[in-house]
Amino acid sequence: MIVATLIFVLSTALFLFYLQATCHRILRTEFDQEYFRSIVNANRLEFPSIQQALDGYDAATDYARFRMTLKCDFLALTYLLKNAGNAKRRYTREEKLLLLYFRAVYLVMVALHAVGLGERKALANLAAILKYFANIVGQRVNLVRFGNLAPSSYLMNL
Amino acid sequence: MIAFLYDTGFFILVQGLALALLVFSVYRGSWKRLSAPLGYVFGLLLIDGVGRRYVLHRYGLTSEQYSSFYWLTDVALALGAFLVVCALFHRACAHDRKMWRFVRLVMACVFILVLGISLSALTRSSAHVENAHLQKVFFFEFQQNLYFTCLVLNTLLYIMMQQFELADPELNLLVCGMGLQFAGPAANFALASLTPWQYASKLYDLFGPLCTLGMLAVWFYAVSRIPKPAPARARGKLVPILARSRSAA
Repeated sequence: MIVATLIFVLSTALFLFYLQATCHRILRTEFDQEYFRSIVNANRLEFPSIQQALDGYDAATDYARFRMTLKCDFLALTYLLKNAGNAKRRYTREEKLLLLYFRAVYLVMVALHAVGLGERKALANLAAILKYFANIVGQRVNLVRFGNLAPSSYLMNL
Repeated sequence: MIAFLYDTGFFILVQGLALALLVFSVYRGSWKRLSAPLGYVFGLLLIDGVGRRYVLHRYGLTSEQYSSFYWLTDVALALGAFLVVCALFHRACAHDRKMWRFVRLVMACVFILVLGISLSALTRSSAHVENAHLQKVFFFEFQQNLYFTCLVLNTLLYIMMQQFELADPELNLLVCGMGLQFAGPAANFALASLTPWQYASKLYDLFGPLCTLGMLAVWFYAVSRIPKPAPARARGKLVPILARSRSAA
């Protein structure tokens, strides 16, 4: 009975661990240039500032502001993922997986904050997912030629 | 009706993805590098897609033949999965033959241990279980132990890769996919020991194909998105040495 319970708990935990490891592997995809910069500038996204704030050792985390910022950036980027330079107008499988992962990490972050545990790692994870999304959008927009329009100008005209 | 649609839908999805993975790997020329995982996928396709369907069609769902065939092929798949883990360890230890010899020995010992533990469960239950069911008890026990062992070994492989900082993203994803395939059934088998089999079997029917689908999707991603490693030597001749170590010079 005890052994079975132990195996059950451990296996379930490992299942979640492998899901997370797969998501992290996808997030570590290397892009040939920093595509996210043009998307951040064109849409005034704020997740890079969160990443910078979290990189600092003693930087205080303004949880309420960070949470709102991440949520707004997420909404903007998911819209762009679906509509900017995307002929099929639907998410790919890995994007769907990462969307789910974002929501799961977001819930974990809210729960961690509620019980008073540190939420810095969850915030960093969320910012990393948004950076990946921005890179994907930037790469797509970069692939499509719009006459003399730069990626940022194209996004401004959407 | 919903259960039938769910079963058929998952069956088509799993078999379709398995077939697509095999065809795509052959097309990309990565079947040599991925012979063990692809062999497992081929076995899955052959057993689940052809063998079981044929036996089910011929003898019926409630027949003894289908039941025996199902359990026997399940054990065969679990053994195949163990061999895949061995192959992944072999790939991870490609740079260190000494390490591979040690790992090989450990794998052999672990397998004998799992077999021994499963046989001991057989002798425990032989007193109060009919002879006809002994085979199934052994299969269930062996499979449960082997899945959990594979899960632990797979996790050790993952940790080993992180420790050695192996720069092989494809192997990383293959291990993650394998972990998904093992963790779901291992948790389910443990749940079957804690709750009545009717509930656990329903969950197994739900999560089993989902885990296999997850593994196939991750492997497909590994094959299609991760760039192929550059060949270590030029065709027919060795790559010229560009730098020598001081001792060699």
